[in-house]
Amino acid sequence: MTTYIIRRLLMVPVLLFGVTVLIFGMLQFLTPIQRSALYIRSEPKTDKAVEGVIRQYGLDKPLYVQYWNWLVGVVDNNGERKGGILFGDFGYSRVASQPVADLIRTRFPNTLDLTLWAVAPVILVGIWLGVQAAVHQNGIIDQAARVFSIVGTSFPTFVFGLLVLMIFYANLQWFPPGRLSDWANRVVLSDEFTRYTSLLTFDALLNGRFDIFLDALRHMFLPILTLSYINWATFLRVTRSSMLETLRMEYVTTARAKGLPERDVIFKHARPNAMIPVITLAGFQVVGLLGGVVITETVFTYPGIGQAAATAAAQLDVVTVLGFALFNGFILIVANLAVDVLYAFVDPRVRLS
Amino acid sequence: MRKLFALLSLLVVASMVLAACGGGATTQAPAGPSEPAPGGEEPMMEYKSNDPTTYFRPTFGEPETLDPALDYETAGGEIVSNIYETLVWYNRQKADEFLPQLATDWTVSDDGTVYTFTIRQGVKFHEGGDLTPEDVAYTFQRGLLQGGYASPQWLLAEPFFGVGVDDISIVTAEEEIKRLSEIIAAGGELTEASLGMDAATFAAFQEALTAGEVDVTDLEAVAAVLPDVVSAPSDDREALSAFNADSLKASCEKVQSAIVADDAAGTVTMTLAQSWGPFLATIANNWGSIMDKEWVIENGGWDGSCDTWQNYYAMTSEENPFTPIANGTGPFKLDHWTRGQEIVLVRNDNYWRTEPAWEGGPSGPAALERVVIQKVDEFGTRFAMFQAGDADNLVVGSQADYAQVDPLVGEECLYNGETADFDCAPVGDGSGPIRVYKGYPQVLHTDVFLNFGITNNQYIGSGQLDGNGIPPDFFSDIHIRKAFNYCFDWDIYIQDVMVGEGVQTLTIPVAGMPGYDLNASHYSYDPAKCEEEFKLADVDKDGIPAGEDEDDVWNVGFRFAATYNQGNTARQSVAEILASNLGSVNEKFLVEVLGLPWPAFLQSQRDRSLPLFISGWLEDIHDPHNWYQPYIIGTYGRRQSLPADLTAQFQDLLNQGVSETDPAKRAEIYAQVNQLYYDYAPGILLATATGRRYEQRWVSGWYYNPIYSGMYYYAISKQ
Repeated sequence: MTTYIIRRLLMVPVLLFGVTVLIFGMLQFLTPIQRSALYIRSEPKTDKAVEGVIRQYGLDKPLYVQYWNWLVGVVDNNGERKGGILFGDFGYSRVASQPVADLIRTRFPNTLDLTLWAVAPVILVGIWLGVQAAVHQNGIIDQAARVFSIVGTSFPTFVFGLLVLMIFYANLQWFPPGRLSDWANRVVLSDEFTRYTSLLTFDALLNGRFDIFLDALRHMFLPILTLSYINWATFLRVTRSSMLETLRMEYVTTARAKGLPERDVIFKHARPNAMIPVITLAGFQVVGLLGGVVITETVFTYPGIGQAAATAAAQLDVVTVLGFALFNGFILIVANLAVDVLYAFVDPRVRLS
Repeated sequence: MRKLFALLSLLVVASMVLAACGGGATTQAPAGPSEPAPGGEEPMMEYKSNDPTTYFRPTFGEPETLDPALDYETAGGEIVSNIYETLVWYNRQKADEFLPQLATDWTVSDDGTVYTFTIRQGVKFHEGGDLTPEDVAYTFQRGLLQGGYASPQWLLAEPFFGVGVDDISIVTAEEEIKRLSEIIAAGGELTEASLGMDAATFAAFQEALTAGEVDVTDLEAVAAVLPDVVSAPSDDREALSAFNADSLKASCEKVQSAIVADDAAGTVTMTLAQSWGPFLATIANNWGSIMDKEWVIENGGWDGSCDTWQNYYAMTSEENPFTPIANGTGPFKLDHWTRGQEIVLVRNDNYWRTEPAWEGGPSGPAALERVVIQKVDEFGTRFAMFQAGDADNLVVGSQADYAQVDPLVGEECLYNGETADFDCAPVGDGSGPIRVYKGYPQVLHTDVFLNFGITNNQYIGSGQLDGNGIPPDFFSDIHIRKAFNYCFDWDIYIQDVMVGEGVQTLTIPVAGMPGYDLNASHYSYDPAKCEEEFKLADVDKDGIPAGEDEDDVWNVGFRFAATYNQGNTARQSVAEILASNLGSVNEKFLVEVLGLPWPAFLQSQRDRSLPLFISGWLEDIHDPHNWYQPYIIGTYGRRQSLPADLTAQFQDLLNQGVSETDPAKRAEIYAQVNQLYYDYAPGILLATATGRRYEQRWVSGWYYNPIYSGMYYYAISKQ
C-alpha cells in the first residue's frame, strides 16, 4: 500500500512537468505582444516598444531559456522579478485588469464553495439513482430513471439553467442568481465580518451569521440543481451498468445462495465492487466542478472561476485562459492522485498488485 | 456509508428549504396594482419597490478605468459622470445647452479664443479637499499632458493646440523642430552634441541631408529636413522621454500657459489656439471632470512639474493608479468596485447643490442612497432579475429581445421631438408592471466602411483579381464603392433587423445638429444601378470598363470577407444582406460573412487589414465635428486608408466648419461635406435606430439626454 502511494506520489512531478510543457507549448502560438502579458501589464504599442519587451524578457531566446524564464520569472531593470509560475505569477489578465493569480485567488473560493455543496447532490444522489435503477431492472423505477437520464443528457445546460431561473426566480422568486443579496453583501464587505476561509458559507457560520449562510445557499441552489440534473444522467448510467454487471457475478450468486438477505447482497457485496468505475467518474466530475462550470456560472452570474475563464476566452485573453488551464492541470493531477489512493482502499487488487 | 449519505442528503435538502424560506423579506418584489376600489372605480395603480433607496442595474460590460482623463467608453463614463463633475453641465435633456456646475459663470473673448471661468466656492471633494481654481487648471493640464490615443484627450488637444494637433506628442515634436531650427539658424558645426540629438536621430538627420543632397551651408534647407526626422512619438512614452529636455519642458509650459488659475480671483482662464464652436460641449463631458490636485499627487499621479510630465504620457488603464479609485465632487461616491461582479455607489450626503440646476430638477443630496451596477452578461438572467423585481432597469441585448419584454409593459412613453421629452399613456388595462420609453433618436449609428488600401491578404483571398480574392486597392475604384452602395437594401435592414425602429442615415451627423440634412443626396437599393456601376469599374486599371473587359471584375468575379464583431447579430445581418444582394447581381461575387472576436476585430481595423467592416460610432460631444472628423480624417479615415488627396478635400471644409460659430453658416459648409461624401462614397451609411428603454414603474425621474454615457442617478428616485 505504502509502496503504491509512494509510486503514485513520484509520478506527480513528472505529470506536473508534462502539464507545464504542454501549456508552455501552447503559449508559443501567441505573438510576443500577447506573451508579454506574462511579464508586464500594458501591451506595448509601438514596434520599438515590442522589440524592447522581447529583448528584456528574452522572448526571442531559445525555447528552453524561455521555458525556464516562464518557470522562475525574469528580473527587470528595476531589480524586480516579473513572472514565474513557480512563484505563483501566471501573468496579467488584461481583460480582468489584475494578475491572473489574483483572479484565481478571488474566484476559486467561490467555485470551491459551490463544489463542496454540490458534491453530495450531484454524486451521491446520482449513485443512489443508478443503484435503484439496477436493483429494479426493467421495473418502473428503472424505466423512469432511463427516461430521466436521456432527457438530462440531451438538455443543454444553458436551456435548463434559464428554465429553472424563470420558474424558481422570475416567477416564484425563491432562488436568486448571483452570490449574495445586496444586504448580505454589505455585511460581508463590512469590518464586522471576518473572512476566515474565503468560503462564504463556512465564513458565515464561523461569524455566527446564519442569515448570511442561508442567503448564500439560496443563491447556490439553482446552480446546484442544474449541475445535479445534468450530471445525474451520467452517474445513473455508469452506476446502473456497473451494478448490473456486478449483480451477475458468481460471488453475488454465491452470496444469495448462502441465504444472505437481498439488502446485504446488494449494499455490502455488490455495491462496493460496482463503485470502482464510478469513483473514476466522480474524480473527473469533481475536477470539472473545481475547474469552474462555465455555462452554469455564466447563466447564474455566479462569480466563480468558470465565469472568469469564459469572459477571458471571449475576449481572446489567452494568457489568462492558459493560466486557468495550468491551474486546472494542477487540480486534475491532485484529484487523480486522490482517486488513485481511494482505489487502493476500495479495491484490494490495486494495492496488492 | 448509508447513514452518512442519508445525513448529508438531509442536511442539503434542509438547508435549501430553509434558504428558500429565509431571506425573502430582503428581496424586492413587484407590487401589482391594488385591489379595485369599492363602487367599481378604476383601480389605483401603485408600484412599490421593496427597497426604494437602492437602484439595481444589471448590465453587461465593465469600466476600463475610472480616471476621467483616460476613460473613453460608456461603462466607465457612467460611473465618472455620477462621481465627478465638470465646469458646465447639460440642461437636463438638451445635449447642446449648458448650465453652470463647478463654474458659476464664464466669459468668452470677442474672438472666441479666451474663456474665463469663475470657480464655485464651498465645494468639497468626497475625501474632504476643497475645490480650488488650481484643481481645475491642474486637471486640464494633467489630461492634455497625459494624452495618448487610447484616451479622449484628442478632443481637448485640438482646441488648445490647433486643428489636427490631436496629441501632446505632436506639440513636443513641434517644439523639438523649433529648438533645432534655432540652433541651426545660429550657425556653427552641426554635431550630435551641439544639436542635443540622440544618436539614432542624428544618424537619420545626416542620412536625410545626404539623400536630399542638401547644401549644409544653406541653413534654411537644412532646417527644412527636420520634419522628416523628428516625428511625433505617438503613444510611445520611452521615445517621448528621449526627446531633448528643453523641448519636453517647453511643451509642458505651453500647456500651463494656456490654462491658468487665479486662486485670488477664483477664476481659471483657458486660451485656445483658435475659436472652437463646440468648446463648452467638449469640456461638459466626462473628460472635463475636475479632480483634486493634492489627492492625485498623494495617490501617485503627476506632481504638476514640467520636469516629470513625460513619465505619465499615454498612461494605460493597467498602470494608472486612478483606474480603481475615485474622488470627485458629484452626488455619489464610489463605495467599491469588485471586478467582474459589481460597482456600488453611495450617496454623497454633503453634496453642494442647494438649488436645482434646471426648473424642477433635483437639489440637495440624491434621493437614492445607493446604486448597484451588477455585471450580468446573459440577457436571460437580466430579464429574470427584472421580472423578479431585483432589477430596476432592463438592459436588452438587441431589438430581438423586445418581443419577450413587451407583454409585461403597462405604460408606454413615446418620444416627442418638439419637447424632446416623452408622452406617456397606459397600455391595455395598464396593469403591466413595466414602463417602456420608445422612439428617441440615438446618437450612434452603424455603417459599412470600405478600405482603400488593404494592408495584408488575411481577408482578401488570393489578394488578386482572379475570382478568388480582390486586390488590396479594390475599393479605391469609385464605381466599385458606388455599386456596393446601390446593392444594399435599407428596407429589409430597417424592417427585419431593426424591427422597424430606425430610419435611413442620410448624413454622417445625427439629427439636431448642423450638417444633418433630410434632403441630402443618398443612395437607395437599386440592383440595376449596382450592376451598371460594376460594369463601369476598372479594377485592373487597363482603361477598359469591366463590362467590356474579360479580365475585369464583372467577368472574373471576386471573393473577400465582410467582417463584424462576433455576437453582434445586427451587424452580421448587414453583411448577409449585402452578400446576398451582390450574389444575386452576379453569382461570381462572393462575400464571406465573418465574425471576429472584439479585440481581433478592433486590432484588424487598426492595422487596416479588413477590406469591408461594419462598425459604429457613438458621439463624444453633441457636435457635427465629432462625427465628420472620425469618419473622414481620424478613426475611420485612418482605418479605411483614405488617400491623402481625398482627405485633403474634406479637411479644409472641416476646419472651416469647426471654427465657425454660426450654426447656419456651419450647415452650409457641412452641406458641401455631405455632397463630397456622397460623391466619393467611401462607405455605406446604413440606418439610425431609435431607442427603447424598459424600467420598473416604481422608478421616476429618467429623461433622455443623448450624450450621457449611461444614467445620471441624481435625477432618479424610486417608490
